[in-house]
Amino acid sequence: MKMNMKVALACTTAMLGTAAAAQTVTIGITQNNVGVDSYQTTYERAFIAAAEANPDVNAVVLDAGGDVARQIAQMEDLIQQEVDAIIIWPTNGEAVIPAVRKAHQAGIPVIVTNSNIAEQGFDFVASFSGPDNITQGSRSAEIMCDKFKDMGIENEARVVQISGQPGYTTAIERQKGFDDRLPEVCPNVTLVETQPGDWNREKSQQVMEAFLVKYDDIDGVYSGDDNMGVGALNAAKAAGREGIIFVGATNFAVGYDAMAAGEYWGSIYQSPVDDAEAALKTAIDTLNGVELPFLNYFDTPKITQDNMGEFTKPVF
Amino acid sequence: MSTQNRKDIIKQGGIWAFIAVELAFFSIAGNYLSVSEKAFMDFDNMLLLLKQSAPIGIIALGMTIIMINGNIDLSVGAIFALSAIMLLDSMTWPFMQALGDWAIPLAWGFALLTGVVLGAINGLIVWKTGVDAFIVTLGSMLGFRGLVFMYNGEQPTSHLNWTLVDFAEAQFLGLHTATWFLLGTALILWILMTRTVHGRNAHAIGNNRDAAVNAGIRVGPHFMWNFMLIGFLAALSAVVFYSESGSVNPNDGMLYELWAITAVVLGGTKLAGGYGSIISTLGGVIAIQLLRKGLGHIGADTQTVNLVIGLILIAVLFLDRQLNRKGQEELKI
Repeated sequence: MKMNMKVALACTTAMLGTAAAAQTVTIGITQNNVGVDSYQTTYERAFIAAAEANPDVNAVVLDAGGDVARQIAQMEDLIQQEVDAIIIWPTNGEAVIPAVRKAHQAGIPVIVTNSNIAEQGFDFVASFSGPDNITQGSRSAEIMCDKFKDMGIENEARVVQISGQPGYTTAIERQKGFDDRLPEVCPNVTLVETQPGDWNREKSQQVMEAFLVKYDDIDGVYSGDDNMGVGALNAAKAAGREGIIFVGATNFAVGYDAMAAGEYWGSIYQSPVDDAEAALKTAIDTLNGVELPFLNYFDTPKITQDNMGEFTKPVF
Repeated sequence: MSTQNRKDIIKQGGIWAFIAVELAFFSIAGNYLSVSEKAFMDFDNMLLLLKQSAPIGIIALGMTIIMINGNIDLSVGAIFALSAIMLLDSMTWPFMQALGDWAIPLAWGFALLTGVVLGAINGLIVWKTGVDAFIVTLGSMLGFRGLVFMYNGEQPTSHLNWTLVDFAEAQFLGLHTATWFLLGTALILWILMTRTVHGRNAHAIGNNRDAAVNAGIRVGPHFMWNFMLIGFLAALSAVVFYSESGSVNPNDGMLYELWAITAVVLGGTKLAGGYGSIISTLGGVIAIQLLRKGLGHIGADTQTVNLVIGLILIAVLFLDRQLNRKGQEELKI
């Protein structure tokens, strides 16, 4: 568990950099549920492209279809096929721990991608590659606070939060990052209420409708991803409430469009392509003996109406 | 008579011939398409295959009996999830924790009891109301799944016990724990269906329910026993699987009823009831797992696997029709 920031930075930038060894390696990946959303679909496509671009890598790409039993069977198959490293996107952060232990015991390094497994399994994992959700939450808080300062309402603004699906680490961590950071940067802004939107646009729209009825004064809405944020935006538009600052995370195409239209203020740019490439890179580095931090985050920058020109529109 | 025997052999042997074709195909295709150096028909890989067949397999074996009865049980996936929650959650109760590792058999007991009780509810409703089992279990599928979500919301229910994991991962005489449960269940149910009065009654009821009633078979209680049995088996499947993976998502076991039915039908059991074989269902389960594993081995994705299994299922039903009815019921427009 050494934190080596230089390596972390290097990992996030270059992809094909250090896979120097001429020896061909076989890397197996078992994904959570490709096709359930465009993030995962793009991730798979990017992963295959990155693996094909690297002549030293053979990739076995599997998808658990959201089924824990199937994912465990795929882990067993990969161990049986004696791949050199396994990348897993867990369907359930705890249920896969025994399977991860099995790979570890067979001497195969396991890289967890996108969302981490539970702490009990950390001993069996070589490295985690994914977004830093706590930082994402606190960056969203900073985006919102900066905007309030520009508008001169940082001493009286009231904020509501729409969080992701309860129980998901991603949802919990983003909420924690936001909850902790907001009082640090904007101590006089009040977070009035937090309700789950379950990563779902329609549900978030309903949650926001309820907020709008309940509170006459809402200056900002933070939602755990743009999909929910756009749901909240639609509710505000339908109710004719203007001047609300919307900040999200995981910039979606809909969020990007809403930003271009000037209705949505900012978000966190998280690219599934970066995510997939970082996972493959982490696996290759692990096999080459490069020393990596246990939590090997890839960078997810802030995106707002001001700097959105620097980013291409997300494909999902 | 001899043609009848020949047909039976074709029907019962069909699934095994299909498995042989699959093995040959994946072995040859694997040489060209797989990135793995290891042969598909590696001995360890075949042992793994049996183990991975266990969760759906144990349920499918029970489903065979239900379908021989002419019934169907759609609630097995939900029973599976609810029993799994009982298994894992009961181990976190204070008095259970005080028992140390002795809590494990007790937790198994609770889980199996849950399965039996839920099965009994299905059976009782089918018996006392006379409503078709399809509708009754469709309702209980939704109802039991509702209970799963009520228990812990959308959160997974977790309890990781390494003693339990070690037991579930153990290999005795080369076979995994789960494989022993699968083969043991198959043996017991095979004896039940071929060597006992209960098994004979099951066939009789499926063939002609009215005749069975007239012959003095108590159809209602018979159904109830079978629904309790499949509830027990769904719970057993959960016990075997979750001993190794200490955490249940609330949507675990969804679609298991359909995979189980697919396996039973692949094994040649008649959808209308009255005919079926436990051993052939075992073949059906292995065939499905072999397809999943083999297509993964040659690098096809999950969607392709589902598509292929779907096509094969339709082909099997068509063949079954030709063999059983010689197209007598062909639609004449």
